[in-house]
Amino acid sequence: MADGRELDLQLHLLDRQVQDPDHRMICKVDDLELELDATGRPYVTAILSGPRALGPRLGGRLGRWVAAIAGRLATPEESAIPRIDFGQVTEIGSAITVARAAGDLDVAPLEDWLDRHVIARIPGSRHESE
Amino acid sequence: MKASDLIGRPVVDSTGRRIGVVTDLRCVQDGPLRGAMAAPRVRDVIVSRRRTGSMLGYDRRDQQGPWLIRLLVRWLHRDLLIVPWEATQLTDGGRALVLTGAQRA
Repeated sequence: MADGRELDLQLHLLDRQVQDPDHRMICKVDDLELELDATGRPYVTAILSGPRALGPRLGGRLGRWVAAIAGRLATPEESAIPRIDFGQVTEIGSAITVARAAGDLDVAPLEDWLDRHVIARIPGSRHESE
Repeated sequence: MKASDLIGRPVVDSTGRRIGVVTDLRCVQDGPLRGAMAAPRVRDVIVSRRRTGSMLGYDRRDQQGPWLIRLLVRWLHRDLLIVPWEATQLTDGGRALVLTGAQRA
C-alpha cells in the first residue's frame, strides 16, 4: 500500500495523531526510530511516543527536564521509550492509523501517564471513584 | 538512531564551514516491507541556511494553497538545499552532518 510515496518526516509524520482502526486516539508521533539499511540509508522502523521521546526534541532546559522527570517517574518495566513498530501502520494521512487497538499496544498516552504518575499521587485524587 | 538526532543537526561542508541546519528528511516508501506498507527510507536531507521554520509543504509542485503564502514561504526558503543522503556523512561522535557532494539538481 502506498509504496513509492514521497514523505517528509517532519511534515508528514512527526506530531501527527496516531489512531486505531476505529479512529480512537492512541498517542502522538513524538519521534521516529530509524535504522540503517545495507547501503547506509536510514529507514523508519517505529513510532516513538511519550515525554521521554518528546523531551529531546524540545531541546534546551525544558526538554531535558521533561525527559528527566519522565525517566525518573517511569517504573522498571517502563524503562524503554514506548514504541509502535512501523509494521503496525496501515495508513498515513492527516492521522496515522495503526492495525491494533490502544489496549493491545505497549504505548501509554500522555493522559494515562499523567494519571498514573502525577494525578494518582495527589492525596484524594481517587476519592470520587473509590 | 532517531529522527530527532538528524533534524536540527548543523550541516557543514568538508572544510568545516557551516552551511545550515537539517530541517527535514525527505523519504520514499521504498524501504523494507513492514506489515502493510514499505518503510519510509531517507532519500534527501533538506537543509535550510536560515532556519526560518518549516516549508509547510510549499516546496512541492502540487501543493495548493494561497499563492501569497506560497510565495512568501518560498522566498523565505529561497536558499534551501536538498541534498541526496549519499552526499552526506555523519561525523563520528560529532554533532554535524558533513556535505560530501552536490545538492540535488
